[in-house]
Amino acid sequence: MIKVKTELPEVFDSFADARQQGFLAMKELKDSGKGVVGQFCTYTPQEIFMAADLVTVGLCSTSDETIKEAEKVLPANLCPLIKSSYGFAITDKCPYMYFSDLIVGETTCDGKKKMYELLGETKNVHILELPHKQDTPEAKALWRAEIVRLKERVEKDFDIEITDEKLREAIHKRNMERRLLKEFYELSTMTPPPMTGQRQLQVLFGSQFKFNWEDKVAEIQHAIDSVRTAYENGERTVSEDAPRILVTGCPMGGVTEKVVKVIEDAGAVVVAYENCTGAKQMDRQCKEDGDPITNIADHYIQIGCSVMTPNPNRMELLDRLCQQFSVDGVVEMTLQACHTYAVEAYSIRRHLHEKGIPYLQLETDYGTADIGQLATRAGAFVEML
Amino acid sequence: MKEYAGIDCGSATCKGVLMNEYGILGQYIRPTGWSPQTSAREIFEELIGKAGLQSGDVKVTATGYGRVSIPFADQKVTEITCHAQGAQYILPGVRTVIDIGGQDSKVISVQNGKVLDFRMNDKCAAGTGRFLEMSAHRMGLDMEEFAQCLKAGKSCSLSSMCAVFADSEIVSLLAAGKSREEVAGGVVRSVAVKAAVLADKIGVESPVLLTGGLSEMEGLKTILSEILGCEVKSDPLCRYAGAVGAALTGMQGRKQVRDNERI
Repeated sequence: MIKVKTELPEVFDSFADARQQGFLAMKELKDSGKGVVGQFCTYTPQEIFMAADLVTVGLCSTSDETIKEAEKVLPANLCPLIKSSYGFAITDKCPYMYFSDLIVGETTCDGKKKMYELLGETKNVHILELPHKQDTPEAKALWRAEIVRLKERVEKDFDIEITDEKLREAIHKRNMERRLLKEFYELSTMTPPPMTGQRQLQVLFGSQFKFNWEDKVAEIQHAIDSVRTAYENGERTVSEDAPRILVTGCPMGGVTEKVVKVIEDAGAVVVAYENCTGAKQMDRQCKEDGDPITNIADHYIQIGCSVMTPNPNRMELLDRLCQQFSVDGVVEMTLQACHTYAVEAYSIRRHLHEKGIPYLQLETDYGTADIGQLATRAGAFVEML
Repeated sequence: MKEYAGIDCGSATCKGVLMNEYGILGQYIRPTGWSPQTSAREIFEELIGKAGLQSGDVKVTATGYGRVSIPFADQKVTEITCHAQGAQYILPGVRTVIDIGGQDSKVISVQNGKVLDFRMNDKCAAGTGRFLEMSAHRMGLDMEEFAQCLKAGKSCSLSSMCAVFADSEIVSLLAAGKSREEVAGGVVRSVAVKAAVLADKIGVESPVLLTGGLSEMEGLKTILSEILGCEVKSDPLCRYAGAVGAALTGMQGRKQVRDNERI
């Protein structure tokens, strides 16, 4: 077993634990004969794999460790998430990637799409064609057909039948998970919030690496109970005066930790994440009655990612979260060379400006060299609030 | 404590100002050198020594990139907040502050000394004071002589936006027979254009004040005014704007100790 080294020591130490345990659990699962599916994106309908009794892992690739290796093939001026993912795949440094029997990617952005082609040369890759509009019948039909195609691929690759009944059960289970994680992060609607943003992120992120559903749900419930009990007992980890920040933007996995630490070191507290690891994924419930494939397709296509055009669902969610969490300021994290989020940042800034909510955009990558610059920007922003 | 020191430890120079509620008691500047801590300490001792004060009498507020390495500071505030405060002191009613510093440039939208919005340059040397220094050096000029060159009002076009490539472009331009006046004008114009792009992103409102180490460079002010389409003001004190703002922040007793706090 290989331990993934990282350049973000403190930040990643907390993950390393969850991840280390994940590695061991992973090997055990593999030894017991379970199939594993690797996914990159929130658009991947996990219910399909759950219904097939497969284990799903997030191929987050949050470290810059393998970027150098990836740049032998990929251009340097490309999103670090894409480079890192590819790097981990070709170097076999990530056990999740290594253990994945099937890797599912989507045509989200151009960089990923083309990287998956190269990934397919060494891994068993399935690509979902994700439409970039959410409101046309053609887009919806295409996406539903793609979900069917994915189901068939999984059935074929793992020699298993995925019944509607199994799918319904999977939807129900995923809904429970979403509801619990939402209940967890909504604890931070309180003033002062009962936990730091770093702690909240730890739970949201860590939950992706729990492979036994019952254990996962129990652990989230436990996190809710312990945070609530401590708060009720008068424990306060965050000052009442700390400005309340909502984080939005690119999916950044572990790099989010770097940004959140900088924000919280400046005296603010992150109360909500609109990103993929947060509300974007947990906010809505998937419909349970009726045709499960249609329900899954309809649910996932409505995720408000910047690859969609137009992308009204992100604005709607942002507005709602800002109000619900009494947000004082919004910080957007943009990964270098992420065109869709970088361009959409303008609309987000303008939209929030109209609502009178201060906004800061931070561009960063998977390295640690820019922490000083990020600290100055975040510090000034917090002082401004 | 009745006296307040503001120390602005930038990447190129370290500035210190001693103030009380009646105004500025002293100011001092020196190159930051290799140790921000040493230069900050020297500046502080110079300030209190001249004023005949003891270090315990003075509340110290540190800003600038080196603020984290000034152990004797009572509080640390970012340079954005400080430049806004300092600019308001120098030019009451100021609405836009442009600071071109050694390693970054920033534009701050201000109202009553409070930051409304700000933009900083990307992590890139183009558009910074360091870029000007480097270009001057390439032409065999010190900053004084470089500023003199700008008086000719000449300019030429530099196509490179990257400091490293611009460096070689300068060599080519000089080799191709361009005068130092023209090249200097071109270099300053490229810096001004970078600042103007940042300014346009947040919207420029008059009065506009140029702060930081380049605030006394008339040629830069002229070109900036021309590009922005409004008068860009300055003042000899603008070099100390960050330090003045830091001292004022200390005086206001604002809750700006956040750099030290851990939640």
